[in-house]
Amino acid sequence: MSIASSPRTQAPEAPPTSKVEVIRRRREDRRVWLYVLPVSAVFLFVFIGPLFYTAWTALHETKYYQIGEFSGLNSFVELLSDPNLPNSIRTTLVFSLGALIIALPAGLLSAIVLNSLHRFKRSVRSLFLLTWLMSQATVGTIWLWFLNPNFGPATAITTSLGFGPTDVFSSPTTALLAVTLITAWWSYPQAMLLFLGALQTIPEELRESLKVDGGGLWHDFVNITLPFLRNTIVSVVVVLLMLYVQMVTIILVTTRGGPLRATETLSMRVFNQTFNDFNLSGASATAILLFTLNLVLTLAVIRFRRKESL
Amino acid sequence: MIKKRWRFAVALAAAASLLATGCSGSASESEGPVTLTYWDFLDPSQDNPRAKALKENLANFEAANPDIKVELAVVSLGDMLNRLPQAAAAGQAPDVFKMFTPQVPQMAAAGAYSPLPAAASEITDWLRPIDTLAGPDGQVAVPYEYRTCAFYYNEKVLKQLGVEVPKTYDEVVTVAGKAAKAGVTGFGTGFSDADNSAIIATFFDCFMSQVDQPIWNAEGKADFATEKGIEFGNFLADLRDAGALASSVTSDTYGTVADGLANGTVAMTVLGTERIVTMASQNPDVKWTSLPTASTGDDTGATIGWTLGIGADSEHADAAWKFIEYMTGPKAAAVMATGGEVPTRAATYDEAFFSTPEAKTVNKIAEYVKSNSEPHTYADDWIAVATGLSQAGQDLYLNKKSGSDFITSAQDAANK
Repeated sequence: MSIASSPRTQAPEAPPTSKVEVIRRRREDRRVWLYVLPVSAVFLFVFIGPLFYTAWTALHETKYYQIGEFSGLNSFVELLSDPNLPNSIRTTLVFSLGALIIALPAGLLSAIVLNSLHRFKRSVRSLFLLTWLMSQATVGTIWLWFLNPNFGPATAITTSLGFGPTDVFSSPTTALLAVTLITAWWSYPQAMLLFLGALQTIPEELRESLKVDGGGLWHDFVNITLPFLRNTIVSVVVVLLMLYVQMVTIILVTTRGGPLRATETLSMRVFNQTFNDFNLSGASATAILLFTLNLVLTLAVIRFRRKESL
Repeated sequence: MIKKRWRFAVALAAAASLLATGCSGSASESEGPVTLTYWDFLDPSQDNPRAKALKENLANFEAANPDIKVELAVVSLGDMLNRLPQAAAAGQAPDVFKMFTPQVPQMAAAGAYSPLPAAASEITDWLRPIDTLAGPDGQVAVPYEYRTCAFYYNEKVLKQLGVEVPKTYDEVVTVAGKAAKAGVTGFGTGFSDADNSAIIATFFDCFMSQVDQPIWNAEGKADFATEKGIEFGNFLADLRDAGALASSVTSDTYGTVADGLANGTVAMTVLGTERIVTMASQNPDVKWTSLPTASTGDDTGATIGWTLGIGADSEHADAAWKFIEYMTGPKAAAVMATGGEVPTRAATYDEAFFSTPEAKTVNKIAEYVKSNSEPHTYADDWIAVATGLSQAGQDLYLNKKSGSDFITSAQDAANK
């Protein structure tokens, strides 16, 4: 008969009692900072530093790329009183949430399909990942050519079917729809990869038990897959939202924010203010607003998940 | 243990040699051959006359100046307008770069240029005055090639419609309407700002010259929303009402309209004279003539074109000027003319090429530029004017705004 105590019943570590042990503990605590310092330095250099510099630039007058006198909150006042700002915020939300609504289920569905494959899994996975492997500039250029109203393949198809040429980038509504769909098409593999990883952690015994109890595909999805994927869904939403809110390249290549600012998201506005208007101060103010919006959206999603888990 | 020490010693020696190389680098750069960085939108590896002419000129310059090497970077105009001010602010502007005439003052205001050396004033045979190519500190660029606006039309389409070549903008609207009913785009233009609003801005520039309407007032503010300026807006509105604009006009660019003209889907347009040679080879039905007249009865457009200047803080200003002087000089300009570009100096036309039958077209274009265009000064906000025109054009087409609203909106956007 074993009298060894089980690890689960082992008593918690007692606090150090002797002076030597206290000193040893303090030395260990200090060593932790040696590992934290490099990461903190990088974080300061690539995030905190630029953030403060952007805010500082927004508080000064600028001429081209020269920073001039302190102007206080003038740039923010101009930003908030710009009649085009509500449109930019609305476009950002429509674009980001629109792409998310498409990419999230597309990614989940692809992951489920991939996870259930037994043959040609690698080939199918490579096929699904193809869009993600292309740069945003390449994706934008491909779709610009495909949807060209004069010589694009899409025009050839729609004309032969009697619908006339495709002209999606000439109208504000269709231009926004087009860039949203293109973005969702490019980015859904990222969601797929995250979901695929999570799906592979679901114990097979649970599915077998459900089968024995007579449960079908829908019960499997609702009662097993979804609960296991809750945290992953939150992560995917956060990752994709942050990506979409900051995205510029696809819009830049296809529409540059037009026609009539219909596709001018806050990120695109920052680009246009910096490189077309040469208004560095205004662009910095918009960038600060964009950062705030991104933060609010991310915190909202995380808070929603925490409430669900209580 | 010995292996580890050996590896450590080798790594230390490698690091030390790298450090030594870095420290000694600056001393060796001040002696010996000079390498000039040159930004141009033309890609010499492409198979077209202008690219081939550039490639030949670069090779000839380097052969004539063995101590100067030219490192060409192919940069589109849009990228150049974005990157030059940044590069200048970071002290990394190219030694020489090409810039389009209306954007020279803006790039000068952005600090992208070094003033030209005194030797530049020794060249006095420019075909057009060059004092318009100046910045806050004086002359910053010289003209590399000249162009102006021309009226292009598809002769075959007009014959099928049974109409003559229009002579006034009102006639253009009438003919364009008929062409649209026949299934082609009556008049090609574009309101996209993807290519810095090239087509609408160039057409606007020439039209304002035709009606003798200055674009800016004495204080440098855009001030063209006058009765004469509104004529331009009314012309576009009339085309829209006649159904003569392409359905894709809000996203059409200079390139798409030129392609449409070349493939016969556009009946008429206004483009620069630089397209004459390539259009003739792409579609023999495409002809060109002087601009239709507006209310003033004048067909004199604006003299525009590419220029060359020295980048801000260039460490090789003398070599850069030598390169610019060569590229705008008679020998290089004669080579450039074989690609259809119009040389800018009188001495160039004494070269043998201009007496040959091959030079007939470029001589004709040069004569047209001389007789049908005049240069004018630009303020330092051309990009805002061009973007304003694009957005006003999109509004005119999508929201059925009037010509008056178009021109007022474009002016307000430029002054914002």
